[in-house]
Amino acid sequence: MPTPAAPRETLTLEAAGVAVTYPNGHTALRDASFRLDGGTICALVGVNGSGKSTLFKALMGFVAPTRGAVTINGKPVRAAQKQSWVAYVPQAEEVDWTFPVSVHDVVMMGRYGYMNFLRIPRAADRAAVEQSLRRVGMWEFRDRQIGELSGGQKKRVFVARALAQNGRLILLDEPFTGVDVNTEEAITALLRELRTEGRLILVSTHNLGSVPEFCDQVVLINRTVLAYGPTATVFTPENLIAAFGGALRHFDFDRSTVNDHDGRQVTVLTDDERPLVLGKKGHLEYLDRTGRQELIDEREKEQEKK
Amino acid sequence: MMDDVLKFATFLGEPFAEDFMLQAFVIGSLVAAVCAVLSCFLVLRGWSLMGDAISHAVLPGIVLAYIAGIPLAFGAFASGLFCAVSTGWIKNNSRIKEDTVMGVVFTGMFAVGLVLFSRTPSDMHLDHILFGNILGITTAQMRETAILSAIVLATVLLLRRDLMLVCFDPSHARVIGRPVKTLTYLLLILLSLAIVAAMKAAGLILVIAMLITPGATALLLTKRFDRMLALATTIAVGSAITGIYISYFAAASTAACIVLVQALVFVSTLLARRTGASADQSNSSLNK
Amino acid sequence: MTTWLTPFDYDYMVTAMWTCTLIGAVCGLLSGFITLKGWSLMGDALSHAVVPGVAIAYLVGLPFAVGAFTSGILAAGAMAFVKMKTPVREDAVIGIVFTSFFAFGLLLISLYPSPIALKTIIYGNILGISPSDVLQVVIVAAICLVVIALKWRDLLLFCFDPNQARALGLRAGFLHVLLLLLLSATAVAALQAVGAILVIAVLVIPGATAYLLTDRFGVMLLLGSALGAITSLVGAYASFFVNGETGGCIVTLQALVFLLALAFAPKHGLLAGRRARRSAQNEGALS
Repeated sequence: MPTPAAPRETLTLEAAGVAVTYPNGHTALRDASFRLDGGTICALVGVNGSGKSTLFKALMGFVAPTRGAVTINGKPVRAAQKQSWVAYVPQAEEVDWTFPVSVHDVVMMGRYGYMNFLRIPRAADRAAVEQSLRRVGMWEFRDRQIGELSGGQKKRVFVARALAQNGRLILLDEPFTGVDVNTEEAITALLRELRTEGRLILVSTHNLGSVPEFCDQVVLINRTVLAYGPTATVFTPENLIAAFGGALRHFDFDRSTVNDHDGRQVTVLTDDERPLVLGKKGHLEYLDRTGRQELIDEREKEQEKK
Repeated sequence: MMDDVLKFATFLGEPFAEDFMLQAFVIGSLVAAVCAVLSCFLVLRGWSLMGDAISHAVLPGIVLAYIAGIPLAFGAFASGLFCAVSTGWIKNNSRIKEDTVMGVVFTGMFAVGLVLFSRTPSDMHLDHILFGNILGITTAQMRETAILSAIVLATVLLLRRDLMLVCFDPSHARVIGRPVKTLTYLLLILLSLAIVAAMKAAGLILVIAMLITPGATALLLTKRFDRMLALATTIAVGSAITGIYISYFAAASTAACIVLVQALVFVSTLLARRTGASADQSNSSLNK
Repeated sequence: MTTWLTPFDYDYMVTAMWTCTLIGAVCGLLSGFITLKGWSLMGDALSHAVVPGVAIAYLVGLPFAVGAFTSGILAAGAMAFVKMKTPVREDAVIGIVFTSFFAFGLLLISLYPSPIALKTIIYGNILGISPSDVLQVVIVAAICLVVIALKWRDLLLFCFDPNQARALGLRAGFLHVLLLLLLSATAVAALQAVGAILVIAVLVIPGATAYLLTDRFGVMLLLGSALGAITSLVGAYASFFVNGETGGCIVTLQALVFLLALAFAPKHGLLAGRRARRSAQNEGALS
């Protein structure tokens, strides 16, 4: 990257005893504390209503903690933002896709923090935009209006904006919803690259399956920070059950029909209501087969009739 | 024959020979341009009701300023801004939806304005405040309008990228350290100023049209923001001149004519675009 | 003492007061739906959009209600059409359509000047209302009352959850149109009392006030209706002393009641909210 902020020091994100109470009296988060250093991908995991998005907003300075503080490299969030350290990749639903801006315009917005008062782009800004767009493979689409892209392409444009901004803390809100598998893999690969460049990447997600695959660290939330640290030590069934409480259905192979087939004990965790679990031969597995086998047989008969 | 043509041409050129008409063309164009530039932001931000609200809410400020003997523009501006700020405050501190809050605040203020007005003996005409009186504009008012318009235009054009960012993606603006709140309030202040500037020419009620239609028309025509600004301004100024010109011959309400010409441009753009769009659609279905 | 009772000595004041009470009650009833549906702008739009219809009706000698209603429906249709055909946001579409209609109305009035018509349409003229106009207002109000009384549950479901309404086999499209028709009809009735510009107030404020005071929809409807009726009655009475600015008086009064509710409502008021926040913080400090 030819960007001027060359000496790439990693930064530290710290939340100390953060509590957020909304004007209507609802306390969404209390006593949340954790600390993360650069050069890592961290997942922020929790169910809807766990205070996950509140914490995310507090990290971005959108809501002020009623108690405690968030600091970035020891500075308040606001000061860190003035340095363009923090980049944000929004959820698809947050964006007005009919807005009359091109892909190039959107990525250029990442450079606003470096520009003068009138936001007139200089050569360095243009170069950064081009490089970022090329890096996510969207340079050819630079003149498209943003609504004229596929879901995955849209996501890549906003990642490119974070790159052009040269953000050292990159926040991604549910980056994999509405995105196809190929894009998910491409984005994951890109995030891992960014990690090795020393950036701190924080991903808010309820897509549990992908967490161990690409996240080094995890922060588990349920109205407060339950646990945080390396994925291997934190992302355990016990912690997850604590984090997800009653909301998490788990599929316990120990008691399930799967043992009839191959005897290994595996536990599938998901916050979906009904996990899809396939056995060795690709057949459906159930916690309790009673009454379900008939349904399957019925479907099969229907198929045969056709 | 030649004589007739000449006569006809003089007849058509008549409006341009009258001083008060020339003045109306200048003021009308200026006001139209200011409103058009702001309309781009309002249309994209989903703030049409905000324009509606502020323009109504200006009334009590005008009457109070008249009573206090200070320039009406000050009262109008303060009153419009009060509407915007109190709307935001009530929305944040109660369970009522924003559109309802706005409906309550601006109509309440307008009603107070009406009652105050009927209790205050004055030589002001309510009709002129509400529906404009571009032909009866005084030199002092003209100077006031010109100064306000210049301030608003210059501010918007200089800060358009930041203002656009705040409309498009306030989260990103926040995260890169832009003062989102200040910029939002700046937009509201500019909106109030524009309404005050347009008050004499278009009236409080019809200024809403000038604050929405040009932006919406331009949005139909382009997918680039800067082009949208330019197009909206061109359309609005063109419509203003045409409208004033027509009103001269029809002896009709000038503001109404301007608004109707703008509406006609919107409708014809819409219809033209529709045929264009269906052609596009058949093309893309062929490609598939 | 006599001065306070003077308004009752005049027939036109008595007529004005009971007509306003009726209009206030109907508008207050409907305002519950408008508030919940988030249709304030729509209400504002329709009440402005009836102006050309009224102007034409007065010009050609039709009942004003017919002209106003037709004009309102045309505007609603135009909005639906434009919205379907463009990427422009709904609020902008509504804004364009109603300002165009309103401008057209003004153009007509400026071309065929008749000051009485303008005053009646824009500011309302309940004190000088003609017997035939009273009859029209009563008919329109009665129809609205009956329709709402019969259909309020369906309309509630439609406002709260249109998809569920559809799933239950209610025709959401029909209910949408029905609500629009009711809105236009009440706007027509309210036009006489408060004028085109302030119609939106009587269609929003009572509902918003009631919403601060209760969590039950049925209660909210009745409360809104009662608030609308009382404020309209008192406002019309007060306007006798304020140069006949009936609309301004009614709406000022409604706004005051709203402010009181906003501050002091037992559960959703500002003071109650402040108390709740403080106790939540204290709780947080203890835990």
